[in-house]
Amino acid sequence: MALDASAGGESKSVGSMLVQLLRKPSQEQIVLLLVLALLVIFSISLPGFSTLTNLLNLVRSISILGILGLGMGLIVISRGIDLSMVSIMAAAWSIPLNQMEAGLPIGWAILLSVFIAVLIGAINGIVIAFVEAPPLFVTLAASFVIYGVAFWIAPAWVVYAPKNAPVLLYPGQGLLFGIPMPIIVFLVAATVMHLFLSRTSVGRFVYGQGDNPEAARLAGIPLRPLIVLEYAIVALLAWLAGLVWIGTTGSMQMSITQGTMVFDVILVVVLGGISLIGGRGSVLSVVVGCMLIGTLLNAFTIMDVNSEVQNIIRGMVLLAAILLDNWLHPRDEETARQGD
Amino acid sequence: MSEVLSTPVANVTSASAAKEPVLRVVGGSKIYGGVHAIEDIDFDLYAGEVHALVGENGAGKSTLSKAIAGAIKLSAGEYYVDGKLANFDKPGDALAAGICMVYQETSLVPTMSAAQNIELGNEKLITSFRTLNIQAQQLLQSLNFHIDPATPVALLGTAKRQMVEIARAVYHNARIIIFDEPTASLTPEEIVHFFNLVRDLRNRGVAIIYISHALEESLQISDRITVLRDGRLVITAKTPEMTREKLVRHMVGRDIKQTHYARAAEAARGGTARRTRGAKVLTVENVTMGMVVKNMSFSVYAGEVVGIAGLIGSGRTEIAKIIFGALKRNLINGGTIKLRGKPVRYRVPKQAIDAGIAYITEDRKLNGFFETMVVDDNVYIGKLATKTGWRFLLSKLTRNKLASLWVERLKISTLQRSARIVELSGGNQQKVVVAKSLVQDPSIIIFDEPTRGVDVGTIPEIHAQIRRLAEEGKAVVVISSYLPEVLSISDRILVARLGRIVAEFDAASATEDKVMYAAIH
Repeated sequence: MALDASAGGESKSVGSMLVQLLRKPSQEQIVLLLVLALLVIFSISLPGFSTLTNLLNLVRSISILGILGLGMGLIVISRGIDLSMVSIMAAAWSIPLNQMEAGLPIGWAILLSVFIAVLIGAINGIVIAFVEAPPLFVTLAASFVIYGVAFWIAPAWVVYAPKNAPVLLYPGQGLLFGIPMPIIVFLVAATVMHLFLSRTSVGRFVYGQGDNPEAARLAGIPLRPLIVLEYAIVALLAWLAGLVWIGTTGSMQMSITQGTMVFDVILVVVLGGISLIGGRGSVLSVVVGCMLIGTLLNAFTIMDVNSEVQNIIRGMVLLAAILLDNWLHPRDEETARQGD
Repeated sequence: MSEVLSTPVANVTSASAAKEPVLRVVGGSKIYGGVHAIEDIDFDLYAGEVHALVGENGAGKSTLSKAIAGAIKLSAGEYYVDGKLANFDKPGDALAAGICMVYQETSLVPTMSAAQNIELGNEKLITSFRTLNIQAQQLLQSLNFHIDPATPVALLGTAKRQMVEIARAVYHNARIIIFDEPTASLTPEEIVHFFNLVRDLRNRGVAIIYISHALEESLQISDRITVLRDGRLVITAKTPEMTREKLVRHMVGRDIKQTHYARAAEAARGGTARRTRGAKVLTVENVTMGMVVKNMSFSVYAGEVVGIAGLIGSGRTEIAKIIFGALKRNLINGGTIKLRGKPVRYRVPKQAIDAGIAYITEDRKLNGFFETMVVDDNVYIGKLATKTGWRFLLSKLTRNKLASLWVERLKISTLQRSARIVELSGGNQQKVVVAKSLVQDPSIIIFDEPTRGVDVGTIPEIHAQIRRLAEEGKAVVVISSYLPEVLSISDRILVARLGRIVAEFDAASATEDKVMYAAIH
C-alpha cells in the first residue's frame, strides 16, 4: 500500500500510487477520498461552509481529538489499546490546577502535570509488559483508579485555570500568524509522531510488535521496555491534549472521564485505517479519520442536525469503518494462514 | 475401479465379514505451493477394521486424514463413501457422512460438562439438563466409560477427555473415526484402556484409522497397516504379516542416492576435504524441563553442522528454545548451558542474540517474519534489533546495502524486493527469515526445520548456505524431522527421543535405518 509508512511508501511516485489505489485501495485512501468528496459537496450545498473562518473552526474543533488520536494510534499500531487516555488527560491537569489555586507556581504545576501523566503511563505499561495482562482491562481499570484518586486529591468537577497564567492558556487560545494554536499544536505533534513512527528504529519496532509480537521477540526486539515506552508516550500526548483543552475551555472538567470521549478517539483511529489487529496504518490515518469526523460534525452544526441523529450517524460510520477494516484485513486465522 | 454398492455398515460385526470398503480414496493428491503433500494415493477402509497409518513426519499421514475428514480438499482424485462418490466442502459434510476425526489436542469446550460436550453441534432447541445428562449417562455406560456426565470437561484428565471426545463421535453416529496420535498424552494404563475401547468400537462395526508414531502400538492394535513415505503409499498389508523391522524399512526405504539431498551432499563433499572442527562453543548439560526435556546433554563445536533428528515431541525444538531464551516462562528444572565454557541462562531472546546465538524458527508464518513489511525491512529490522546494528534514526542507505547483500547471498528472488513478504513463495520467505537472523552476525546458528514448506528447488540452496556457514567457522545446529536432510548436511547426528539425546552418529556411519531405529519408541 502506497501510503503505508511501514512499507517505505514515501518513495513511490504519484503514478504508482494511482495504480495501487485502483487495485486495492488502503483505508486511508478510501477515507481521504470520502473527505474530499464531502468537502466538495458541502462547499457547494452549504452556505458558509467553505469560508476560511469555518474551515479553521473545523480544524480547531478536532485538534484535541486528533492529539489524543495520535497517542491512541501509536498504541493500536502496537496491538494495544489505552482506554485511560481521557482519565490521564483530566487527572494530569486537575491536580496541578487545584494546587495552583493553593499557590503552586506555574512552572512547578506544569512539571507536576508531566510527572503525573508519565507516571500513570509508565505504570500502565509496566503492568501490561511485565504482568502480561490484557491492555484493554488494565487501562479500563486504570481509568477508574485514576479518576477516583484524582477526584480524591482535587475534589471538584471543574477546576479553573488561573486567569494570570497566559503560558498555560496560550496553546489553547493563542494565535500564531493568525492560525489558532490548537491547530499548530496538533500539526507539530502529528509531524513529530510521523517522524517517530516512520524514521526511527523504535517506530519500526512498534510496527514489528503490532505485526507479530512473537516474531519481534524472537528477532531480539526488547518488547517489555518498548511497551512501557509506548504507554508513557500515550500519556504524554494525553497531557498535551489536556493543555490545549485548558486553553480552549479555561478549565479542566473531571466529568469528561465519565463521557464517551475515549470512544470518539478510538473512532477516529480505526476510521483512518489503523487496524485493531496491529502493525497497520500511520499518522495519516489519524489525520484523515479526524478530518472525516470534523467535516461531518461541522456540517451537522451548520445544518443544525440534532444530536440524536448525529449519534446515529457517528455509530454507523464506526460500524462501516470496522467492516471496511475487516474486509481489507481478514482476521480469520485459517484464511490468513492458508495464503499459499 | 468398480462402483461398489452401499452396504449398511451397522449390520457388519467383524472385520472378516466386511467385503466392500466403507471408504475408498482413489488417486488422491494434494498439492501445497507446487509440492505434493500426498500423491496418487489409493486407500481403502472396511467397516469393523482398525487401519493404522504410519510414516515419518511429513510423509502425508495428516494430509490424507484431513482430506478424509473434509478439513482440506484434495487437489486431484476422488473418494467414495459406501461406494458413492463423496464431495466434502467442509468438515460438517464429512461429519454428516459419519466421518469423525479425534484430534491430538482435544477440541472440547472446557467449561461445559461432559454431557453438553457430547451433544455439542447437535443441540435441540430446548433441552433439559436432566434429559441431557441421562442420555449422556446411558451412552457413556454403553461404551464402558466411567465418567460423570455432569462434570465440566476442564476437571477431567486427558484420558477421560479423550473418552468424551470418542463418545461424541459415537453420539454423532460416526462410522469412520480417525485417531491422530491418540496415545501421545496417555499413561500406560490409560493406553491399555484405550485399546480396549478401540477394539470395542471395531466390534461395533466402526471403521478406524489409527495414526501413530509408536510402531509397537500400531502393530498391536491394527488389522491392516499402510505405510506412507514422501506423500506416496508404499505398502498396505495385513498386520500379522508385518514386523517392526519391515515397517522401519518401508518407512525410510527410499533410495537415498536418488534424492536431490544426496546429490547436493555429494557435490558439496566431492573433492573438498572434510571440514576440521574447531573449539567447543556450546555445551548443554543435563538440562531438564518438565516432561518434555529430560537430562538432555550435547555439545556443539565451531565449524561443524550438527543435525538433531527426532520425532515431533522429542524435545528438539524445546531445547533450542531453552538455549535461545525463547520460552515465555523460565521452566528449566535443572542443568546448565555453557557458552564457550561460561554458564549462561537467557530469559529473553535479545540476550542470546547479543551473545551471538541465532534461532531460525520452524514456523515462519507464526513467528518468523513481519507480514506487513517488505523484504528489505524484514532484513533490516533484524540488524536494528542487535546491539551493534542499532541506531535511533533509520538509514535507507544501510537498509538497502544490507538487503542487497543478503538478497544476493541467499539468492532471494529480486523481482520481488518491493513486494510484501506474504506475496513471496515459501522458499523465498524462508530465505528472508534466514537473512533476518544472519544479518545479526551470529556465531551459533540453530535452524529448526530449515526446509519445511520450501519448494524443492530451493532446498539445495538453503543446504548450501548451511554448509557455507560451517565453513566460515560458525557452529550450526540443524533440527529436522526429515532424515535425508539430516543425513546429507550434518557432520554429526544426534538423535532425540522422549526428551533425551539417545544416540550419536558421525556422518560416515549414519544410515536412515540406524537413525530411525534410535528415534522411534
